[in-house]
Amino acid sequence: MKQELYACVHAAEFPAQALLRLRTELESEPVAILEGRPPLETVCSLNRLAHLKGAVHGMTRLEAEDIAGLRLLARSEESEDTARAAFLECAAHFSPRMEDASYGTACACLLDIAGTERLFGPPETLAERLRASLAAAGFRSSIAIGANFHTARLKAAATRGITVIPRKQEATALSKLPLAVLRLSEDHAETFAIWGIQTLGELAALPEVDLIARLGPQAAEWRSLALGSLPHTFQPIQAEFSLKEFCDFAPPIDQTESLLFVAARMIDCLIARAAARAFSLALLVIHMELEGGRVYRRVIRPALPTTDRKFLLKLLQLEIAAYPPQAAILLLRITADPGQSSKVQLGLFAPQTPEPSRLDVTIARLKAIAGEDRVGSPVLEDSHRPGSFHMESFAVAAPPTQDPPRMALRRFRPPLPVRVELRDLKPVAFRDNERRFKVSAAYGPWKTSGCWWSADGWTAEEWDVLAETATGSSVACLLVRNHRPSAHNRSVWQLEAFYD
Amino acid sequence: MPSAAALRIQIESALEHRYPAALTPLERTIRETAPTCIPQVDALLNGGLPVGVISEITGPESSGRTSLALACLAGHTAGGRVCARVDACDAFDAESAAASGVRLRQLLWVRCRSALPTAKPSSCLDQALCATDLLLQAGGFAALVLGQDAFAQSSAAVVLECAPLAALAASQTVLDGYNYQVRSGRQRFTPSINGPRKPPASTWSATSAWEREKSA
Repeated sequence: MKQELYACVHAAEFPAQALLRLRTELESEPVAILEGRPPLETVCSLNRLAHLKGAVHGMTRLEAEDIAGLRLLARSEESEDTARAAFLECAAHFSPRMEDASYGTACACLLDIAGTERLFGPPETLAERLRASLAAAGFRSSIAIGANFHTARLKAAATRGITVIPRKQEATALSKLPLAVLRLSEDHAETFAIWGIQTLGELAALPEVDLIARLGPQAAEWRSLALGSLPHTFQPIQAEFSLKEFCDFAPPIDQTESLLFVAARMIDCLIARAAARAFSLALLVIHMELEGGRVYRRVIRPALPTTDRKFLLKLLQLEIAAYPPQAAILLLRITADPGQSSKVQLGLFAPQTPEPSRLDVTIARLKAIAGEDRVGSPVLEDSHRPGSFHMESFAVAAPPTQDPPRMALRRFRPPLPVRVELRDLKPVAFRDNERRFKVSAAYGPWKTSGCWWSADGWTAEEWDVLAETATGSSVACLLVRNHRPSAHNRSVWQLEAFYD
Repeated sequence: MPSAAALRIQIESALEHRYPAALTPLERTIRETAPTCIPQVDALLNGGLPVGVISEITGPESSGRTSLALACLAGHTAGGRVCARVDACDAFDAESAAASGVRLRQLLWVRCRSALPTAKPSSCLDQALCATDLLLQAGGFAALVLGQDAFAQSSAAVVLECAPLAALAASQTVLDGYNYQVRSGRQRFTPSINGPRKPPASTWSATSAWEREKSA
């Protein structure tokens, strides 16, 4: 029978972590996160430096503002959602079976890591790699590994760093944890306080029957939790794969350097998440909300999907230089589309062409010099208007190998006279001496004329017609309506040819 | 008896004031050329325009400068290569380029203009030179045509001086084409021949797009 083994990853103070993970410049500052409706905001999360400064949860804004040097930020739900998705996705790289165990301001998940030893090594190694992976994504986390689901969960929430609980040592591992980790109601916590029970070890030592008799059936669950023996039915979730990063700026920023500093970190995270699934970034959508309610949106589409951070950042820098935001930036959201990593097979005798990623940067620079609509490939329009063309973005296309086959005409000489039924001046049906054709589509008229000054002049309308016969087979044919000036402008319809 | 090498050194040192290294053959580098797709001009240039250097095509209006440049581009793009046209005067005509056989999809066209609302005002020529520099650094373009009215002085390795001759007079109703003359004003990589010599010249003709359609 497979032995159970769980790894719990716990990120405390998640509102603060979600806001600070992309703002590395704030790492060295004490930061407290406020939630609630002004002016009744209270501190809901804080970082370690803020804690050292004396800030605590539940503090009001006025109290927090009294602490010198404490930076106050507003809680951002979108930041937390984005960060939670990144957190779960990062953890999901180590096991496909994952259960969300977040509560309060903490983000936590448990991984079923039974059987992963051959892939990631012993539990200690897996925990170190998992913690390093989360740290690279900007999360501080504690990890506990144990054979019991709840033991791992409680231990990770109550300790820092990495803890590996040996089998059948769960009660010992939990014995020194305070009762608060059980999240008891105030009445029950007070009862235990009166009894002098302060740790899980002391709770586990109480006789089960007497405990249930005094506190009810839920006491048996608490005791099992304290003993590390409470069973759990695993409810796995699927981590959503979405390449999205969000940063809320408070106060708004107006310097491009500051914006690019944060954007670089966001692009780093997106690249890492895409690369973990063997993807590249095919498209970046930059969305900013500016002061005054304005919205700034640009799309960066590299020629080939890439994971080159410098290249993407350069494209972003050039884009922002060409189209600078017109007001201070309140928030920045970057979403990316994953794409398959580019694989280009170069031919030995194929002509040399510009390197796609380098060409992208060059074209972005050229657009910054000449203008967005003035760099590209000219495309002629289907018009006789003099000088009609439009510009399309330049891309190195594979050289055409061979022209595709063209439709050919099979003519009737002389042309077959036909009787045509018209509706709104367009043919809807026609018949020759033998068959009747129902027109399904008619393209035209293409009017031609010539030699009007001589006796053999002509004036004709050509129609390309898709028609169906009575038997259901479809044909494409060329119908011509000849106008004969000599015959009192009478016109004659003829079936000139079939497209064959 | 002195050896052949000693004799050669002796003779060369004696003639040095008139003919430096008289008996030592000059080193010649065979440079890669790209045909212009106009046989007469290719013959004049010993195969085509040299690759990797600046070539300058000069001349008055209707002297065939643009036709010659487009013929070069058509040849390159037909071979699957990509080219760039930096247009300082915004004078490029996409229709006649397509009619000349240029595959427009393989042509990057940079249209310079005098000022941008979001950028510092700069002249078209500054923009064109800047764009040309960027494209040369990017690499991978088989040919880069910089269109500009005139340069005061150039360091081009090859200078072709174009001149109009006369219109083709095959038809009385439409313009059939034009005859041009092209003269090689400078060819740095061609071995110099002592003494004054008239620069080599050649004539060529270009037909109109409709004439080409008719003959096709």
